[in-house]
Amino acid sequence: MNKLQGKDFINIGIFTAIYFIVIFAVASIGFIPIFIPLISVIVPLVGGIPMMLFFSKIRKFGMITVSGLLLGIIMLITGMGYWCILTGIVFGLLSDLALKACGYKNYKREILTHGLFSMWVIGAFIPIVVTRADYYQNLLPGYGEEYADTLMSYMPDWILPVLLAASFISGIAGGIIGYRIFKKHFERAGIA
Amino acid sequence: MIECKKLSFSYLAGGGKKKYETIKNVSCRIKEGSFVLLCGVSGCGKTTLTRIFNGLIPHYHEGKLEGDAYIEGKNTKRLSLFDISLKVGSVFQNPRSQFFNVDTTSEVAFGPENHGMSESKIKQRVQQVCSQLDIEDLMDRSIFSLSGGEKQKIACGSAAAIDPDIYVLDEPSSNLDSCAVSDLRRLLEILKSCGKTVIISEHRLYYLADLIDRVIYMKDGKIEGDYTAQEFKAMPESQREVMGLRPLDLDVLKDTEHGIKAEAFSRWVISDMTFSYKYRPGILQIGKSILPAGKVTAVIGDNGAGKSTFSRCLCGLEKRCRGTVEYDGHVYSAKERLNICYMVMQDVNHQLFTENVEEEILLSMKNKNKKQIERLLEDMDLTELSECHPMGLSGGQKQRVAIASAIASEKPLIIFDEPTSGLDLFHMRKVANVVNEIADQGRTVLVVTHDPEFILRCCDHVIHLSAGRVYESYPLRDRRDRIRLLDFFMLK
Amino acid sequence: MAKELLASCRDGSSIILDPRTKLAVLITISIFILGGSYEGIMQYYIIILAFIPLILLLSSGKRKASVIYIVIFGGSLCLELFILSMLPSPVNYIAVTITGILLRFAPGIVMGYLLVTDTTVSEFMDAMDKLHMPRFITMPMSVMFRFFPTVAEEWSCIGDAMKMRGIGLGYRRAGHILEYRLVPMMICSVRIGEELSAAALTRGLGGPIKRTNVCDIGFHIQDIFILFVCAGAYVAQIYVLITRG
Repeated sequence: MNKLQGKDFINIGIFTAIYFIVIFAVASIGFIPIFIPLISVIVPLVGGIPMMLFFSKIRKFGMITVSGLLLGIIMLITGMGYWCILTGIVFGLLSDLALKACGYKNYKREILTHGLFSMWVIGAFIPIVVTRADYYQNLLPGYGEEYADTLMSYMPDWILPVLLAASFISGIAGGIIGYRIFKKHFERAGIA
Repeated sequence: MIECKKLSFSYLAGGGKKKYETIKNVSCRIKEGSFVLLCGVSGCGKTTLTRIFNGLIPHYHEGKLEGDAYIEGKNTKRLSLFDISLKVGSVFQNPRSQFFNVDTTSEVAFGPENHGMSESKIKQRVQQVCSQLDIEDLMDRSIFSLSGGEKQKIACGSAAAIDPDIYVLDEPSSNLDSCAVSDLRRLLEILKSCGKTVIISEHRLYYLADLIDRVIYMKDGKIEGDYTAQEFKAMPESQREVMGLRPLDLDVLKDTEHGIKAEAFSRWVISDMTFSYKYRPGILQIGKSILPAGKVTAVIGDNGAGKSTFSRCLCGLEKRCRGTVEYDGHVYSAKERLNICYMVMQDVNHQLFTENVEEEILLSMKNKNKKQIERLLEDMDLTELSECHPMGLSGGQKQRVAIASAIASEKPLIIFDEPTSGLDLFHMRKVANVVNEIADQGRTVLVVTHDPEFILRCCDHVIHLSAGRVYESYPLRDRRDRIRLLDFFMLK
Repeated sequence: MAKELLASCRDGSSIILDPRTKLAVLITISIFILGGSYEGIMQYYIIILAFIPLILLLSSGKRKASVIYIVIFGGSLCLELFILSMLPSPVNYIAVTITGILLRFAPGIVMGYLLVTDTTVSEFMDAMDKLHMPRFITMPMSVMFRFFPTVAEEWSCIGDAMKMRGIGLGYRRAGHILEYRLVPMMICSVRIGEELSAAALTRGLGGPIKRTNVCDIGFHIQDIFILFVCAGAYVAQIYVLITRG
């Protein structure tokens, strides 16, 4: 019974679609480049609403991993790079393990799991941050060492861990919001 | 052949906390090649019975099943859904939710693909089904561009592509207009002539009158009556009415009377209302149309005639709509109309936002008045439900909540979009009474509908749209008017 | 109807590429333009790569989009090469970040847009099958693509209902707007999903037999040419790495 079946695959597809539409709607703020770092906070915050409902339906191992992978693929085909496939799988797998460990029944762990899962958004930032050193040196020849250093300080090395932590924390906050909405609406509406 | 032996089933809802029984001790045997109608009021268990026939119970819906069902001699408990899918084809009520693919050809090929048929054979099979069911013109289209009727035809085609011997249809006409119903009927006729077994659960009976071989009438989860076609047709209409069934022949409706409302004191005048998409010819072109105030006006017309567009334009929901609406000496712009109109949508799920029924009504009220809410809840039979989540209610209850918020909004023009699709006789009459009451309070009501029985119960005026124009517009006063109306709904 | 993420039916005339080619272009662009370091000859090769989406845009008659693309990509490239170094420092940091992001994301987003609008769902699923993607990926993926327009449809219907009840910009309880919109959308979507599963299962989805897929895709001369250009990027990168030592 633990193998994923037709019904599970359909559930994965549905919730990934809902999740993507919700986060896409709120992430449009990132079209203004200065706000891009904010995405790592907003997406987990709002994404908690669909994800907590999804978590409540999960009884089998692997569903979040597939969902993370699918998210990565959509990010790729909408031109956001291939890194999200990797982060989607990694954090999806971690979330699956976390849910399995709590036996799929503990809402506090589910909130924590949402924090874990939310860290996949870091994949969207990796291409900007990781290669920036080479990038500045190569595309801006003759700017001088000092100039490159100043630029590096605008996007320092520690920005990735900071964004990662931000997404984890707001993921937990989003999980709490999602859980409240779940209790207030979804459970009582009989779709849980 | 299908056989049921002492079947009982109860659904498990809310994580197993609630349990409600839907069918009790049902035994029946359905012969090969027969056309069986399952009928009865909402909640009588006919949908549950169809789910047993197509294997969704016990393989998909969770619950407690007692007794056995056999398809061609095999117990459904021992067959997988996959095995059953080879023998039983299913068509469901909601045309929006039964497609797995986004284009029609893939949808028809979907069943054979799942059964691992070879590519050339699938193509051949799709061709064959399309010509057999006469749906060739629908191939290679986007699912999202089809009308409800076209979707149901594709759903039948998709079921037929596996070539099962048994077809199970669950209220397939609920969301269809009269033209689409005629098409569906033709399709069922083809299936019947191929010698297939057809089991259909339905509220609308008139289009099936010539097809049925047998009628199973259910009440409170039990089979209460089992008739041959002759017996069922010979029954006086009044007896079917007592059973809560819709008429088998629309002709009897000619004599429906309903109380004539007080003469209209003023009227809404719609002038030069047009609507079109960019670079395309107009979808709606209405020169002048009148809605008598304090009365109920029905908007009828075939699919694509512009009924929904008309009601959306009237509400002020379409930005591209031009034209004016005048009432009481005031000309309302589209934006102002949003403040004076309230639409009760066909899918009321879209307009229920809050966490309980009382909040939902409060949300619509400008002046929160506790007494008024209580009275409204009582009028709409919702007092006991006031603490429940609106989305957790049954379809009819949800609709009443939506209507209650419409009334609470105190807007002068209330629009209903297909309020009776999929309702049985009792519930339809209940809605008709509510609509009459709203009009009696002095509000104007517009109803977009394809339910002639409902129109004759509460409407005073008819606007017939055709190709985006007003084809005719007449009051419903006497028998002649009613015949004129019913002419439109007769099977073509 | 811009509601569908992948088109459900093909329209318009354009250079028809195999979805696999489009995916290859996307991945190449992601690697070298979005995530590349622009060393040596690579800084010229990316311009060639950036031309692929432009050609595809032009061939499908999207003139306005082509112009915007040229302005954004070409503009930020010129800015970076010639003007940025002349700007005073606080403006400069912001400008470098913005142009850097525009330059890097524009080609990928345009290519993604082309893939999404110019590929039908069944073509894409065929491509996934031909790439031997396992069923646990392809099945939820096809449901997902089927579901995007449905969710969008629900979203807009609920928006209409909100307008009618006067809930929108300027509504008193601003915090509730998102809740009022998300909650019914999710409830409706989940219900539709349940009905969808039931309907699919009664037609044999998830059976023990391997699904067939009626395929129509294949590589043509234009695919080979574009794949060749993509391959060139990898060759150039390897060359850069070797000469760097």
